[in-house]
Formats: sequence, structure tokens, C-alpha cells
Amino acid sequence: MVMMVSDKNNQLAQPIRDALSMVALPLIKIIDWPQNVYQSAEIALSRQANLLDENKQLKEQLLDAELKVQQNFSLVAENQRLREMLSASQISPLTTSVAFVSNITQANKKQLVVIDQGSADGLYIGQAVLNLAGVIGQVDVLGRHYAHVIMVTDTSHAIPIEVLRTGMRTIAYGNGADIVLTEMPTSADIRKGDVLVTSGFGNRFPRGLKLAEVEAISVSADRTFKTAVAQPFAMLDRLTEVFLIWPNGAAVEGPLAVFENDQPGSENQLQIPADANQGSNNPANDLTTGNE
Amino acid sequence: MNNPDNNKAFMHLSVLCALLLTMMPWSETVQLFQPHWAALLIAYWSLYAANSRVMYVAFAYGLLLDVLMGSLLGKHGMSLVALSFLVTKSAKKLRMTSFWQLLMMVLIWLFNDIIIRAAIDWISYRYTPKMTDLLPLLTAALVWPWLKYLMDRVQISIRNS
Repeated sequence: MVMMVSDKNNQLAQPIRDALSMVALPLIKIIDWPQNVYQSAEIALSRQANLLDENKQLKEQLLDAELKVQQNFSLVAENQRLREMLSASQISPLTTSVAFVSNITQANKKQLVVIDQGSADGLYIGQAVLNLAGVIGQVDVLGRHYAHVIMVTDTSHAIPIEVLRTGMRTIAYGNGADIVLTEMPTSADIRKGDVLVTSGFGNRFPRGLKLAEVEAISVSADRTFKTAVAQPFAMLDRLTEVFLIWPNGAAVEGPLAVFENDQPGSENQLQIPADANQGSNNPANDLTTGNE
Repeated sequence: MNNPDNNKAFMHLSVLCALLLTMMPWSETVQLFQPHWAALLIAYWSLYAANSRVMYVAFAYGLLLDVLMGSLLGKHGMSLVALSFLVTKSAKKLRMTSFWQLLMMVLIWLFNDIIIRAAIDWISYRYTPKMTDLLPLLTAALVWPWLKYLMDRVQISIRNS
């Protein structure tokens, strides 16, 4: 009883968990072992023609990606200029690391996956986890050499998001299969096909990561809220590798909020107070666009 | 001939196998029906040993299961200890009873185990129990006789070796 409460409320039970995770690791390895053997056998047996095909395909993908990067160069430069005009701080690049998902089933009440990196690799609880398609979830339980990642669709997960088209911010909850937005006013402008990105509030997820696409919209029974159901971009039941990210630099998202407050064509009204970067914990509200 | 040691090793081995079975990647339908292997094994060993030492074993493996599952530390520990306690208390009586009566008792213990875990989940993160949580009881009812028979046979062969 005491143990459960202490585990829930703070990190007192973490040493016990660490010690036991040493025992648990061999079991995870045993479960993973047939899968690894199968994969290496598959590589050994796959025909050369297949590999050539795959190689060609990957090269095409690379070419595509490089083209996109070239387009991005000009955008980055433009962005930089704009940001210098606003004397805002840079978005610092994120440190990432790749982890592989172990093939272990979890109790079906919670949607968790086990990844093969733990506190020994510098992970921390609440760390954002994504893959190439979009956000997956965050680190929930930490062991020495593995960690449990909770999915964004889990019923106990919530993530601050923003609708990419309108910039409206709200919180997205998991409902077991999809993501639902339940806290929008009935007048909110949201449509099917809108893309949801992370808003960076709460300092857990960096700003602007793709999360989900809105699938259906309805009005709640008592007509006070609009609710939307969204489908995550990442295939959450088919994960093989995930990216972990470490934000370096606390003021990642603060100054960006300026873009929603300014009026176009009134450049000299934008005088960012000198302490804008320090107030990055509540970014949107305390930025004054000096009207005096 | 070191019977108790052999038996103990067999107990740990069987419970570890149960943990592995729980963690194995099954398809989702199978997962819905999957019995709580560790609880079945702990019930069997408590019934067999009728001795409070099994409760410590149950607690240790419960914690291990918690760590593996990423659940609240002590959730499975507590439910397995409760199970082990209930079984141990009435083990001597139950070893005399008929097959069907024992099966019913096992189902009741497992049901109790499910209730405890659902309660802990509800307290810790407002989990709302579903009817499908009870499906493992069905398979447990099918598995239990075979499990008991198998374990009895293995124990006899260990004893005779």
C-alpha cells in the first residue's frame, strides 16, 4: 500500500524499480530473442534482387528528401531574418536519439510500449517520443535499461495542441483508440481534415510536432462544447523504432506567440519587452505589444 | 535426493514461465482471453505448499510483473499476495474437495484478483472497468484443470527421480 502511494506521488519507489529492472531485463531479452533471430534470418535469406529493389527505393526517397531540404534552406533563412527583426530568441535544435521498440505485450488496460533505452541513456519521465509520422507519446515509467512509453491515445494521456490552420489551442485527450478534443466552444472553427500539431505549452512537447488529423466533428449532448475525433498520424500499433528528443534551451516556444498578437502592417508597434524570454512559462499572455 | 530444493526450483521456474507467457506478443483477441498466468500459478503453489512462505514469493513476482508491465509498483504484488493469502488460509480443506468445487473456488479467487486490480487502477487513474476484463476467467476455467494435472505430474516425476 505504502509502496503504491509513494510510487504514484513521487519518485521514492524508483530505487526499487531500478533494482527490479535488472531482474526484468533478461526476461525482456528472452521475449525479444525469437523476434531478433527471425529478423536476422530474414536478412540473411532475402534475395539480392529484393535488396536491390529496396536500395533503389531508398535512394529515391533520399533524393526526394534532399530536394525538400533545399527548399527548406530558403525558408530557414527567411525565418531567421524575421526572427531577428523581432529580436526573438532562436528555436534551438533538438537533440534526438533512436530507440527500438521491444516486442512485448502490455496489459490491455493501458497502452504502453517498451523501448530499449532507459535512465542509463539519459531518458527522463515525461520525455516526448515520436516517429517519422508524428508524435507517439511520452515516457511514462522508467527503468535502468528500458522504459515504458504511454501512447497519445491512452485514456490517461492529454497533450496540449494547436490547430495548424487556425492556430486555436486546446488539449487533446486519448480515448483508447483515437484522440478527442472535448474542450472547444461551439463557435470554434475546426473542420474535417485539419491538422493538429503540438502547441508546446507545458514544456513537455516541443512546439509544432505533427500529431493527428481531424476525422469527425460533433456537438456535445448539452450543446455547450464541440468535440472532434482525430486520427494520429503515427501507426501506434505498428511501431518498430521511435525517436526520443531532448530540448536544449528552455525558451523554445515563448517568443513565437508574438505572431498571433501582431497586426499586419504595423511593424513599429512590435516592441518586445526585454524580459520576454524570461517569461517563457506562460508565453502568450504576458507579451505586450507596446501601444503607448 | 534433495526434494525440497528441486521443488522450489520448479516453483520459481514455473512462475517465471508464467511471466513470460503473460508478456508474449499475442494478437489482440488472444490477449483479451488470456488468463492471468501468474495468478494461476501462485494459486496452485499456495494450494500445494499451504505455507505462508509462498506469500513472499508471490509478492516478489508481483513486483517483478509490475516492473515489466510498467504498472503502479505494488499493484500486482498486492493482488497476488491477497490471492495467496486466501488460498493458503483454506488450502488444507480445499485439497480434500472435489474437482468442481476446487474449480469454482479458483474462479472466485481469480475474480477477486481482477476486482482488486480494477480497484487499484480506478484509484490511481480513474480506470472504468469493462465487461471484457472478465473474459480471462473463462479461459482460466478451461486451463486450470490441465495446469493442475500437468504440475502434479511434473512434481511426482521430480519426487520419484
